Amino acid sequence: MRLRLTPLRALVLVMVAALSVVYILPVYVMMVTSLKTPLEITQRQYLLPSGNLQFGNFATALRLVFPSLVNSSVISLTVTALSVFVGGLGGYFLARFRWPVTKVLFVLLAIALYLPYQAVLIPLVRLMATTRLALTHFGLILSYLILNVPLAAILMATFFFSVPRELEESAEVDGASRLQIFFRIVSVVALPGYASTAILVFIQVWNEFLLALTLVTPYTTTIQVKLNDIKGSYVALYNLQMAAALITVLVPLTFFLFLGKYFIRGILAGALKG
Amino acid sequence: MSNGATKAPVSQIVVGVIIAALVAGVAGYWAGTQRGGGMAKAEERKLEIFHWWTAGGEREAADAMFKALKAKYPDIQLVENPVAGGGGVSHRVVLQARLSAGIPPDTWQTLGGAELKSYVDGGYLEPLDSLYTELKYTDAIPKPLANAVTIGGHPYVVPLNMHIQNILYYDKKLFDELGLRPPTTFDQLLAAAKAIKAARPKMSPLALGSKEKWEAAFVLDSLLLEVGGAEHYVKLYKGEVDVAADPAFKTALERLNTLRPYIYASHPQLTWDESCGLVVSHDSAMVIMGTWAIGYFKSRGWTPGTDFGAVTFPQQPERVLLFHPDTYGLAKGAPHAKATMDWLKVVASADLQVPTDVTQGGLFARLDIDPGQFPDPIRQELQTYVRGNPGKLILDQHGSIAPFSFTQAYWDVAAGFTAKPDVAGTVKAVSELFTTYKVQEGAAWYQWP
Amino acid sequence: MSTSSHAVRFARVREAAPFALPLLVFLLVLYGMLAWTVYTSLSDWQGTAPNYTFAGLKWYRFMVGLDRFWVDLDNNLRWLVLGVVPTTVLALCVAYLLEIGAVRGIEAYLRTLVLYPAAMSFVVTGTIWSWMYQADRGVLNTLLRAAGLERLTSGYTTDPATATYWLILIFVWQYLGLAVLILQASFRSVELQEMVESATLDGASRLRILIAVLIPNIRGGILVVVSLLLISALKVFDIVYVVTFGGPGYATDVLALFQFIATYQQHLVALGSGLAVVIFALAFIIIIPYTIYALQRWFE
Repeated sequence: MRLRLTPLRALVLVMVAALSVVYILPVYVMMVTSLKTPLEITQRQYLLPSGNLQFGNFATALRLVFPSLVNSSVISLTVTALSVFVGGLGGYFLARFRWPVTKVLFVLLAIALYLPYQAVLIPLVRLMATTRLALTHFGLILSYLILNVPLAAILMATFFFSVPRELEESAEVDGASRLQIFFRIVSVVALPGYASTAILVFIQVWNEFLLALTLVTPYTTTIQVKLNDIKGSYVALYNLQMAAALITVLVPLTFFLFLGKYFIRGILAGALKG
Repeated sequence: MSNGATKAPVSQIVVGVIIAALVAGVAGYWAGTQRGGGMAKAEERKLEIFHWWTAGGEREAADAMFKALKAKYPDIQLVENPVAGGGGVSHRVVLQARLSAGIPPDTWQTLGGAELKSYVDGGYLEPLDSLYTELKYTDAIPKPLANAVTIGGHPYVVPLNMHIQNILYYDKKLFDELGLRPPTTFDQLLAAAKAIKAARPKMSPLALGSKEKWEAAFVLDSLLLEVGGAEHYVKLYKGEVDVAADPAFKTALERLNTLRPYIYASHPQLTWDESCGLVVSHDSAMVIMGTWAIGYFKSRGWTPGTDFGAVTFPQQPERVLLFHPDTYGLAKGAPHAKATMDWLKVVASADLQVPTDVTQGGLFARLDIDPGQFPDPIRQELQTYVRGNPGKLILDQHGSIAPFSFTQAYWDVAAGFTAKPDVAGTVKAVSELFTTYKVQEGAAWYQWP
Repeated sequence: MSTSSHAVRFARVREAAPFALPLLVFLLVLYGMLAWTVYTSLSDWQGTAPNYTFAGLKWYRFMVGLDRFWVDLDNNLRWLVLGVVPTTVLALCVAYLLEIGAVRGIEAYLRTLVLYPAAMSFVVTGTIWSWMYQADRGVLNTLLRAAGLERLTSGYTTDPATATYWLILIFVWQYLGLAVLILQASFRSVELQEMVESATLDGASRLRILIAVLIPNIRGGILVVVSLLLISALKVFDIVYVVTFGGPGYATDVLALFQFIATYQQHLVALGSGLAVVIFALAFIIIIPYTIYALQRWFE
């Protein structure tokens, strides 16, 4: 590989440098803060590192957030898996059964994407209370599922549009049923679609705060609620909050990095088969 | 004919679905084994409690409360549901949703006054007349405090403390150095601010953090109390004053505007604790804040009486204390009503109030507790004053007299004024708020003196 | 018609059922809740306990009489324009530059870097940004002063007139990574790669390739990005909540935050539901172009 400094390379380097500064600075501040004592933070010298690094903050933070990390992982992964499953089925319906009613459904789903959570918070909690699911993990899982299935269905439909119909037609000739075609062929070809839908749903659920707060119990506290609690309201323990956040981000970041690779590999594989 | 799908070669999707099902199973098991207290049977010795003291000095205060409960009733299993957020912002979300869905906790932290009234109006709290009679609690606490937790003739919650809002904290060493006396009137405050500015041009004499808005209303309240006096203060928040034609309100705004050059300029970015931090870091010399600031200063290593002093502000035309309590009540339909009653008895006792209030920052609700229990001269003096003059207590607008819908909007306007002063516009806006939110109707329950 | 066409139709429906039914159930629940919210906005619910007495447009009239409502609407429009357009353009540039000019390692590094804000709790990144913006000792002003650029220091979110723009900048920062990821993925179809190759052989400049070949062929990806950003910008809540709490005064307030305050702090549930309906109505208007495009594509 030649490493001449072409204008293009220079441009890329400038971009990488600029973005690095903009994105590393906040993380730097987080790290510096996570190693301070609460007193040092109240001095509001955000940029200076602590003179006396408090690595113990991470141990304390991990101990505090561990149960809620488990809660959040269980809830987010379950919701992600179930909503790409339901959304995948629904998306296929939207993409392949072109009836007038489907058109209406499509519009309804698209609008539902814009629904602010606050708008359905009170009826949702009411529903969970009626079904006796409130205050359990199932309550949160079902709530998030209701709220994320439209997103999953729309995204999956968008991906199924790009799956060539010829693939299915040849299988149909072989006498395969729709469900067989869906699971054996379409879903496999649309794997990158599943991956990117999963990423989006996972982010939504993992980062959701308001609903998790509303249905909070000591046993189902999610990581976002915990991160908010850790700081407290009196003497703000930002050091523990930042340490906890740095530990916490590893989960979705790992998920991203793993699926991110999968995402691109899947696209290439799908395209080759097509 | 289409059931062949399941026999399909194991594609990755199917694996995914199986994993999902397993995860759901685990989650279900988890949920089943650890189901929360809210849905359990009524006879269990359990107590589900919502509060907002989650961390920092407040966490220790909550621990002190529960220690007192454990000491008296070791058999009660505590299910704590702490929700963070200053003054209970997030706390109210959880409560609103859970109460209206019919799954209340046994007991929850609430301020007295209008916030309490909103729960009573909703029919979510049991009246506690018999408990009050049994404990003779009405006689144990100041009359204005009893009034603040009594709606329609019935007490609904048990207060465990009183927070005083109108206190001016000052950097004692700086004041001594400059030969200044702590100000107790607006003129003295302005003079002190000018003197500090002259001696320390880099300082902002008066600290303020208006991010949560109510902090700005505190300053305005203190100025208003001096201009109009106690009776005017109560009438104003009862909606009985025509603000548009009220010279006192206008003067208070003008005074606030006069003070502005001496107030920390970037106040919309700071919360109350950060504004007190300005005093500790010598960026400011004074701050108007409630009694909870004492706990904050102490946590920063400042000693009351040595590093910082405190005076009630204003002390003209008379020394009035604006207060609000933290309280607990009994939910209607509480799953564990018996345990809750036991808890409320503990809340009313000195065994809980002494360790909790000393830690958290307020004054004792009970008048029979020795003021000497406080380690600092500031609260010793305040508690002694309250003991001798219980009639000088007025429910503050934080607590509040006026309905909550009004108060929230009023804070925004007050905070907006400190960022961009417009006296005429603000008078008009506030006067409209009083009619828009029907304050006169909503605050009619409040009796003073 | 004949019985056979009936049977064919029945078979089609039975074929579609396993795909459509689960979706329908979820959608029904969601719209049931939405209908409930619409009804609540027409009721007289104020206070903590439900009150479903029909009150007509009472609370809508109340809403349009509030100055705060109009401030919110104005702010929301700013968010929609300035949160979406710059982010999309920037993401397109970054994704394209990464495609054509970056070494593999650098590309992976940058992708991870711009993605973490999406993975991180906004309660936390919001706190960091409020420290960045603090006027006296904040990170940005400290850096500017250290660099001798005192002139460039600013009050950021303290000025009611410009505070919203600083908030939108955080949004761009937060969503850039996701946008880049989606656009990059849509660059990488074999057909598109072949088109780019042949255009390159024809001697087209790289900028030309971007405008004439890539952009028209990744309309789907751009659409996903734009809709995602529109959704997020319209629903924006946490950035405002954490960084300014709507202040100074209510200068940076947005509909979603007011909806929250009205419902849960002021206990004006009917008003809060009305605001939710307004957000929803705006969404409806915004989404029409997307829907038309999607439907056209669907029936082409």
